[in-house]
Formats: sequence, structure tokens, C-alpha cells
Amino acid sequence: MTRGNRILLSCIYWAFVLYVFVPLLLMILMGFKDSKFIGFPIRSWTLDWYTGVFADAEVVSTLTYSVAIAVLSTLISVFVGTWLAVLLEGRRFFGRAAIFGLTILPALVPGIISAIAFRIYARLLGIEPGMGAIVWAHAVHNVPFVALVVMARLSTLPKSQIEAARDLGADPIIAFLRITFPYLIPAILGASIFCLLLSFDDFVRSFFLGGYEPTLPVLIFAKLRSGMSPEINAIATVALVLTAAIGIWAERFTRRANKDAKT
Amino acid sequence: MSNDAAARTGTDTAAGTKPARTFWGGLSVWAPYTALMKLATASPRRQFVILAAFPILWVLTQHLGPMLQMLRVSLTDAYPVAPGVEQHFTLDNYTRFFGERIFWQPFFRTLIFAGVLTFCTLILTYPVAYFLARHVSRKNQMLMLLLLLIPFWVGEIVRTYAIMILLGNTGAVNLVLKWFGLIDRPVPFMYTTFSMGVGIVYLTALYMLLPLYSALEKLPKSYSEAAADLGAGAWTRFRRVTLPLTLEGISSGCTLVFLISTGFYATPVLLGGPSTTVFAETIAGFFHVAGDEWPTGAAFATIMFVTAMLLTGVFQKLMYTLRKGDTK
Amino acid sequence: MTKNTFSRRHFLGTAAMTGAALASPVYLRSAKAAGGEVNIWTYNDFVPKAFKEQFEAETGIKVNVRLVDDQGKQFNLLAAEAPNPTVDIMTVAGHRFLQFIDSELLAPLDTGRLSNWGNINPTFSESDWATINGSKWGAPILSGMEVLSYNTEMVSAEEAASWDVLFSEKYKGQTAYIIQDMMSIVMLMLGYDGNMVAYMDDPEKAAAIVEEAKQFLISKKPLVRKYYDGGAEVQQMFVNQDIALGHSWNGPAAALINDGFPLAMSIPKEGSYGFVYTYNIANNAPNVDNAYTFLDAILASPEIGASMTKASGFISTYKDASNYLTDLEKASTSFPEEQLANLQFFRAEANELKYNLVDPAVEAVKAA
Repeated sequence: MTRGNRILLSCIYWAFVLYVFVPLLLMILMGFKDSKFIGFPIRSWTLDWYTGVFADAEVVSTLTYSVAIAVLSTLISVFVGTWLAVLLEGRRFFGRAAIFGLTILPALVPGIISAIAFRIYARLLGIEPGMGAIVWAHAVHNVPFVALVVMARLSTLPKSQIEAARDLGADPIIAFLRITFPYLIPAILGASIFCLLLSFDDFVRSFFLGGYEPTLPVLIFAKLRSGMSPEINAIATVALVLTAAIGIWAERFTRRANKDAKT
Repeated sequence: MSNDAAARTGTDTAAGTKPARTFWGGLSVWAPYTALMKLATASPRRQFVILAAFPILWVLTQHLGPMLQMLRVSLTDAYPVAPGVEQHFTLDNYTRFFGERIFWQPFFRTLIFAGVLTFCTLILTYPVAYFLARHVSRKNQMLMLLLLLIPFWVGEIVRTYAIMILLGNTGAVNLVLKWFGLIDRPVPFMYTTFSMGVGIVYLTALYMLLPLYSALEKLPKSYSEAAADLGAGAWTRFRRVTLPLTLEGISSGCTLVFLISTGFYATPVLLGGPSTTVFAETIAGFFHVAGDEWPTGAAFATIMFVTAMLLTGVFQKLMYTLRKGDTK
Repeated sequence: MTKNTFSRRHFLGTAAMTGAALASPVYLRSAKAAGGEVNIWTYNDFVPKAFKEQFEAETGIKVNVRLVDDQGKQFNLLAAEAPNPTVDIMTVAGHRFLQFIDSELLAPLDTGRLSNWGNINPTFSESDWATINGSKWGAPILSGMEVLSYNTEMVSAEEAASWDVLFSEKYKGQTAYIIQDMMSIVMLMLGYDGNMVAYMDDPEKAAAIVEEAKQFLISKKPLVRKYYDGGAEVQQMFVNQDIALGHSWNGPAAALINDGFPLAMSIPKEGSYGFVYTYNIANNAPNVDNAYTFLDAILASPEIGASMTKASGFISTYKDASNYLTDLEKASTSFPEEQLANLQFFRAEANELKYNLVDPAVEAVKAA
């Protein structure tokens, strides 16, 4: 690789970093504006919006509620999505195309439609609106994303490895757990990030399937009715910092757990 | 490439799970387990049934179920059924779509937008993923990737308003341009196809970045070096070696981004201009403004997802043939 | 705003006000400590926090608030829950009653059970649009209207006296409006009845009028910056100076004025429409008695009405609520008498005819 190319690439990279971070910094900045509306010019500053977030018990409980929903629904999606990917990738059977179509179906339906369809179906199944219903809807909606990502990774798994394991007497389950699953872990982690994000950011399904406790996006939408205030920016920033902290902690924790298991 | 990758993962698993071997060894000779496995794997047919039963049941009840409800609604003339009104089945809701330009115009616009934006996202994020995977030390890769993911944790609405603060007449970009004396009066960036594109790519970049990165990361550097030894130029190396080997990442990234961007509602509505109505907005209109038009909304949604599904299918098939063609 | 100009401004319906008995500060004169709960769907800040806490303490009834952000979603949610909803009270815009009533989603309101009904300004509680099928369907709490909002540093009050300014070349690319609402206003501008009640027996004429309004908006499309949907959007456009003037509801505009932004509102001479948010009781509500207790309590004091106004920018329907507002808040929720004379309320009678014509027209304007 020539030097020029390399410099060009790094320029593009840092331009991209700028593109994704500038709006974020603006958001954090606006949380300090002493006004009920965000935007330039900022004439005076305040810490009230940020301190207000922690003083508001509703915001804090909403945040925990949203995180819990995201984690639970992600676990379900990853389990089902991976299983579907294993079934679909590299296998030929009658109706495979139909099953593939059905697998990605939930991702193809516009939000409002899928929310109403879920609401009607939930009543048919006797699922009460509330946390369980939201988790269910998010899990179903996110399965296609897991299946697609895992299938892509699975398609690159050398068949020879599985065959070798089978030749050595491993049954399909052990072969899966020992060879396939470890190979899929990066894809599964990536898919989990998608799922967590999709669930954490979902408004319309949470609104239709939820009860009287709002998730974070539902709360933000409701607050938006009375204007885009720095309060919303402060809430989003605090949510960002807290979820990032949880993410880093989880990453550290799993890394240490892996180390412990190895020694 | 498969041999190399196999060798790497092979040694990884062997080294990484040494103490577990006894567990797996123990399990594989544990009588109840072997008996169960014998029963389960008695025939390939039975094996397949066990593998397929749960996921097929899941997609039928969980994925298809809600949509069948919607399909049923799309074929009726009234829903929710007002008391004292009889419900009839009809195809009118579907014929309505083809009858009026105001409906199919946003439909095609959405498909074109989604296609173009998917392509833009690909062009924009490919170099980023390439830089990360090839020019950053392995140790720092994960950290830098995670860094890039941080902004995506902010909700769609809040991020969309941040774009307004960025591009508005008194927004950050105009302030900077003015400060440098490049402009006298603000440039109206907002409420155009441009602002909408900036906003949507901002939402979709992640879904492209991750699959691209994971495809590029797997690619051994030696390949490109070997090609260089043979005298291939940078562009040829990229086109003949890197690109074909990352097709699978491109395909899954594009599929994800295309699917997600056909369903976008809030961002195009908030950032778009007077003539950028997307189909999701048209559909939502039937549910928001007029409560008695659920069937039409449901029919239009059906048309949308059937089309998106067909396009995705064609695209996947195309990518599959491309990949096949390259390995031959 | 100087005191002088302020004194010329009037509150909606002041003329119709009668001497009101001062409301008791204790919400429930015959509190029975009922217990249980009451479930409410409403907008952010429509149930003041301080009131909610005091009500819960005094009655032992737990107030569960579910925040909604638009009328359409609320209708869909209720329709999906019918016939056994989880909700007791929800907040409906008065001119959308009919849709809810036809689907049997609302229960008629027994005003006899509300001892504080008299605290509502009769302009709202007793006007003819509030009575449908011989019954009252909701307790009015806040009132809004369609106004012309303008940045006072860019647009003069004289220019803002007519809706025409919204379509002038001078402000090309600096205007915004909600098409749906603008359709009614354009009909008014063209000299027709925007409620379409007058054409209920003449569907052809109705269609021709909607077509005319549609063609008008299409011809003016090159001049507009943005067709928007929600209050927060128009506020942001003003703050970012993406627009100099626009059609809006008075609530979001008042919130900007109260924040010190150089904005003003007018009800142009061609006229405009007003609407009312009401608290309604759901058909088959699970806690009807508690719902009535809650409604009676929230109507008890003008101070509660004032705090709703402070939070939302909409005008309180309570008698004497303005006594509890600051001068700036008073200014942002009142209009000169001669402008108020141009205001009429949205009516629901012809809604089916009207929206069957207007909804496709709105799509056509967007697609043009």
C-alpha cells in the first residue's frame, strides 16, 4: 500500500469520525443551554438540566426498564436467530426459500404496521400489554437481523472442520458447540449490538405494546410534545453515558471471565 | 483462503478450550446423553426434523401470525369494525394503490432513495472499515470500533434534532462557514434531499460498518501482498482480490441497510423537504389521520413488504452468483 | 410587552364570563378515601405534578398516567383495546369526538356528577359543538387555535394581519405549515366554510371546494420551506431561523414567546379555527367512579388550569385561570378583541365528508 493511499484512507476515516461525533457533541452541549429550546446562539449556560435528570425518579426508572427490555429481548433473538441461521445456511430442503422469507419478514414491515399487527396478535394470544409484550415484540422483530448476520459468517465456515470433527466421532451437537459456535461468536456479538440498539431505540412497538410504564423513547416522544428542550438532550446524554458504562463493564467482565476460565 | 482461516481457528479452539476437553469428553461418553443422541440421530431425516421443528414453528407462529392478521385486515372494507356495521371482504384496498399516482409515486421514490442511500452508505463506510481492519493495530481495532459505535446509542429522534442544530440556518455548519468569511447569508441545508440523506446515512452507517469490518478483518494480508509481488497495482489488487473476498460482507450490509431504510419514518419526515414524502409516511397517514382506513394502510404495507422481500431475494441471489463465480 | 398594549388584549371568551364562585382549595369536599386507581392517557404536562401528588394523598387513588403524543395513535390504541379498555380517562381534541363516538369508544359524560363543572368557562362547556347526540362527551381543559406565528425581527405586525403573507414571494423558502390544518384555513381564505357543515347536502360542491383549495396549495408549493407535523418541529425551525413565519398552533408558539424568543401570533383577518382538548371517560372504563372523582378534582381550582397553561402554552378553559399567570404568560395566551372576533371553532358534524376529501388532497399536495 502506497503512502498516499494510506493518508487518503486515514483522512476519510477521521472525516467519518467527525461526521458521527459532531452531532453527538452538539447534543451534549445543548444540554447545558439555559433555555427551553435547543439551538444557537447560546446566551447563558446552566447545569440544571443535567442535575434535573438525576433528581427525576421517573427518568431513572425508565432507563432501567428500557435496558432490561433490551437485554431480555436480545437474548431471545440471538437464540432463535442463530438456530434459524444454522437451519438455513448451506442446506437445501423443500420450502427453504419460504422459511427464509418468513425469517426476514418482521424486518420488512413498517414500524406502525408491525406494532398494530403485534397488538392485535398479542390479544389473540392473551399476552397482556406491559414488559412481557414489549420483550416479545422486540425479540420477534430483531430475529431477522441476527439470522442475516450469523448466516453471513456461517457461510464462510470451512466445511472440512465440521467433517473432521464428525470423522473423529463427535455427534452433531458437540460438533456445533465445539466448532461452529466458537466460530460464530464475533457475528453473534455484532448481532447482539444490533438487537440491543434496535430495542433500546424502538418507539412505536413499545408504545403500542406497553402499559403505563414508559420506555425511554416513549418518554422522550411524550416530552417532545411540549418542545425539544435541553432536558431531552440531558436525558439522552445521561442514558448514553450510563449504557456505555454498562457496556464497558460487561466487556471487561467477560474478558476477565474468559481469562479465569483459561488459567 | 479457507485453508488458512481453518488453520487459524483450528489452533485457536484447541488452545483456548483445553480444560473443557474433559467436560466434552465426559459428556460424549455419558450413557444417557449417548442414548439420547443415538435416538436423535438415528436417521438423517429424524436429525433434520429435530433441527427444523423449533425454528419453523417459531416463524410460523411468531413471524407469520401477526402478518396474517394484517393481511386479513387488508382484505376487509372496515377495521376496526364499528358496532352495527357488517364487514366484507374486498380487494379494493389493493387496486386503490395502482389507481393513483399520489400513492405509487412515494412508493417508487422510497425504493430509489433506499437503493441510493444504501449505495452511499457502502461507499462511505467501506474505506472506514478498510482503514480499521488493515491499518490499525489489532489491539486498537476493537477500541476504535467501539468508539465509532457510541453515537449510535443515542435515540433516532434526539440524533435527528442534533442534525437540525448542525445544518439549520443558525446551525453549526453555517456558523463555521460565516466565521471563516466564506458566506454572507446562511446556506439553507435543511429540509432538502441533502439533509435527509445526511440524517439517514447517520442512522444506517453502523449496519453497514459492522458486516464490512468483520469481512475485511478475516481477510489475510498475505493475499494482497502476494498479488503485489506479482506486480498488481493497488487498484487492481483491490478489485481482483479484496473486493471479491468481501462480497459476503457487502451483501449482508447492503441487505440490512436497504431493509432498514425502506421502513424509516421519523427521520425523513423531520429532515425532508416538501417533496420528499416516503412511503412509510403515506402508510402511517392511513393509521394516524383517519382512523377508519386501517385496511388501506394494511394493504399498502403488504405491497411494500412483498416488494422489499422480492428485491432482497433478487439481490441475495445476485450476490450468491457473483461469489460462486469468483471462487471457480 | 408594555402594560398599555397588554390591556387591549383579551382572553378567549372573556365576554361570556359570569361571576364565578371561588373554588375551594380542597379538591374534594366529600372525599370518601376511595382508594384503587385511575388510568389516564394524556399529553405530557396535562396532569400537573403537584396536583397529582395532592390528589393521590387526599383520596388514596393512584393516578397512572400514560403519555401519548398524538391523537391518531391514541385512537388506534383504544380501538385495539376495545371493547374492554385499560383506560379510564383520555384526552381527545373536541372536533375528533365523532370518530370516537361512532366507534363506541367514549361514554357520555354525566355532568351532574361533577360539582365543579360550573368552574369551566361556559364558552367551552356550553357551546353547541360540545354537545353531540344530545350528550356531553368531555370536560374541556385547554383550548388551542390555528394562528399565524412570525419572527418579529423579520416580519411586521401589519404583514401578519393576513394569511396572504404566508404565500408571498417576499418570504419564499421561509414559511412552514401543517397541510391538513392549512386546507381548512385556505377554504376560509377562499370564502368557504372550512368545517364543510354548509355543504353536507351538496357533496359535489364540497368536492369542488376541496379541489380548489388543493390546487391553491399546489400552486404555492415552490414558496414553502417545509410541511411539518408537530409543534416541536415548528419551534425548532423558528429557533434555527429556517423560517421567518408559519402557521402553527398557539401552544407551541406561546412556549417560544415565554422563553423570550422574538415571536408573535396573530389571528389573521380572513379568520381561523379554534379547538379544545377535553378529558373524556372511556366506554367500559374499569374505574368509572374514580374517573369522576379525578375529573371533579382537576376542575376544582383555576390555579390548576393556570399550571396546565404554563406547561403547554394552550389557553385554559377555567374561569379566572389567567389570574395565576405572569404578564408574559398572559400576553402569550391572549389576543386583541378584534382578532378573536375572527375565530370560530372546528366542528365535527361534517367530518366524514370533509376528511374523505381532505386526506387524499393532502397526499396529492405532498406528491405534487
